[in-house]
Amino acid sequence: MTAGPSAKVSQSGKSSFKRGTSPPALIPYLVAGDPDMATTRRYLRLAASAGVFAVELGVPFSDPTADGPVIQEAARRSLRHETALSELLDWIEKIPREELPPLYLMTYFNLFHHMGVESFCHRARETGRVAGVVIPDLSFEDARDYRPIFRSYGINLVGFVSPTTPLDRARKIVREARGFVYYVGLMGTTGSALSLTSSAREMVKSIQEWTALPVCLGFGVSEPKMAQEILGFADGVIVGSRLVKEEEDPGRWEKTFLEFVAASRKGKS
Amino acid sequence: MSKESAALKKGRKGSREISPSLPDYRGYFGEFGGRFVSETLMPALIELESAFKIAWRDPSFRKEFQGMLAEYSGRPTPLYLAEALSRETGGARIWLKREDLNHTGAHKITNAVGQALLARRMGKRRLIAETGAGQHGVATATVAAKLGFSCQIYMGSEDVRRQALNVFRMKLLGAVVSPVDLGGRTLKDAISEALRDWSRSVGETHYLLGTAFGPHPFPLMVRTFQSVIGQEARRQFLKRVGRLPNVLVACVGGGSNAIGLFHPFVSERAVRMFGVEAGGIAIAPGLHAARFAGGSVGVLQGTKTYVLQNGDGQIENTHSVSAGLDYSAVGPELAYYRGTGRIVFDSVGDDEALEAFRMLSRTEGIIPALESSHAVAYAVRLAKTLPRDANILVNLSGRGDKDVMEVSRLLEEKGETL
Repeated sequence: MTAGPSAKVSQSGKSSFKRGTSPPALIPYLVAGDPDMATTRRYLRLAASAGVFAVELGVPFSDPTADGPVIQEAARRSLRHETALSELLDWIEKIPREELPPLYLMTYFNLFHHMGVESFCHRARETGRVAGVVIPDLSFEDARDYRPIFRSYGINLVGFVSPTTPLDRARKIVREARGFVYYVGLMGTTGSALSLTSSAREMVKSIQEWTALPVCLGFGVSEPKMAQEILGFADGVIVGSRLVKEEEDPGRWEKTFLEFVAASRKGKS
Repeated sequence: MSKESAALKKGRKGSREISPSLPDYRGYFGEFGGRFVSETLMPALIELESAFKIAWRDPSFRKEFQGMLAEYSGRPTPLYLAEALSRETGGARIWLKREDLNHTGAHKITNAVGQALLARRMGKRRLIAETGAGQHGVATATVAAKLGFSCQIYMGSEDVRRQALNVFRMKLLGAVVSPVDLGGRTLKDAISEALRDWSRSVGETHYLLGTAFGPHPFPLMVRTFQSVIGQEARRQFLKRVGRLPNVLVACVGGGSNAIGLFHPFVSERAVRMFGVEAGGIAIAPGLHAARFAGGSVGVLQGTKTYVLQNGDGQIENTHSVSAGLDYSAVGPELAYYRGTGRIVFDSVGDDEALEAFRMLSRTEGIIPALESSHAVAYAVRLAKTLPRDANILVNLSGRGDKDVMEVSRLLEEKGETL
């Protein structure tokens, strides 16, 4: 279980990633607290021992406008026992480092704003266990006010590029991105059906020419075979709804997760 | 210089004409506003902003807009002196801007006409919208029928139940009504679902947002269309009374009827402005929708503004007797003017609004929407404190036909009879 993909982001946010030599990478997405924190911890441990590139740990928000029904439902389950952002950081800090993969916290901007972006960054750095953040509703333009804060604390702010993004805009986004570039594989919300188009391949290739950061594709990756295909051209693949769907049943989650791990290893070979 | 960039330059010049300074180029009114949406929607918002600014500078677009308002919606709406109501307060004169006399029964149609004409110019074929009480949904379905768009309306399933009449109207007009079974099953959830639809369909679809809320350019665009209310009122008042009103009053949900009335008066320092939020049952979590009374600055559904949220930053549910004011956040421009002190905000609770609903019906023969009843109630409060020669102008944003069943039920619940 330790021979998995080894491209990692260190806790200081520096990437040891080298395109062409680093093996392709899997980024599973988990909703923190679904169905409970003990189960989340178990999934994190498993992901760490499988050597995933990173885990996107979703912090539930009451109004997740970019998420489809599966993640909305999981967030609602988790919100029943109030998974607050600051408490989640306390919780993360207590987990032994070897049981944690590199963590990217994913949630909507209001939760960061409410805690205070600077307070969040300060606490996140203190835990020594947060590589970065993924904030779907913080647009490139609005991020201008906050980017310097994330940077000064070494918290990577991931950049999003979507199929609707024009090339010149994509280039600006990629230039300011840290950690990895999140290429949204399809137009829509998380968990819709993805069909890979040649334009997605071309876009990922263009982005790879502009940046040394890993370019990871997410949204709608519903099968291990699809993950494998994506890893034929992308540096990483994010698997969200397909895994979140199984979160309530650890047996099924583990089985599905391992299938994706196996597929991602085959990806580039 | 290419044709396109010349057009964009013109568009930017246009933005200066629309408003001297606000919002800024990123869509901020001071610290409020912005475009907090996913990257998938950003290019569409940028395209929409540019298309709007170019259209608004184009005399043929303005002519089309004004023509349709005149012939289809019945503008200008009258300015009306509510003599009997004023007499009953014993104080200042209360005037009503009769937005309730618009086609479909509320000010909502004005924005729907403006955005639909713009969407047609942009080559869109489908309109989507959110609705709470159903007034904006009906307005959107109406212009979709008139201009030949396909149309889908998102409505919380709780509101679908409460507003059966408007659901039927929308269907009659050819729209598909999609009940939203998420969250509190009201307006907020309908907006989220409309945003999700738009992320999937952004190429052919225009999201016809109903209020001066959401990501830039919606607050600017809705304000610009709805400002016709204040422009007309200003002209009518000067002609009829010979001076400007002393006080303006409007109810505030998202804020489109309020900013529409207020904006043309903002630089008139002598005109005082009051925005009235829904006080619901009490100013306590989940029992009201007075964002300025119980809220704090946050980010919801594309904009940074005052939001009702709990200690963890999760959005709170709201309550108001009027579905149109029953929302957790408020338009960013109103948040800005609240900060500068230009507009004063207060709230009116369910009971006082119901009292005003009955009072205006009884004294003037005008049944107001429950939303507008909040503004009427506040005007009555103010009139009592002002001299008789003072003039209060109330935006009567909608008519109350849609509310009579609900009011009848509420009165019965209280054991009251008419």
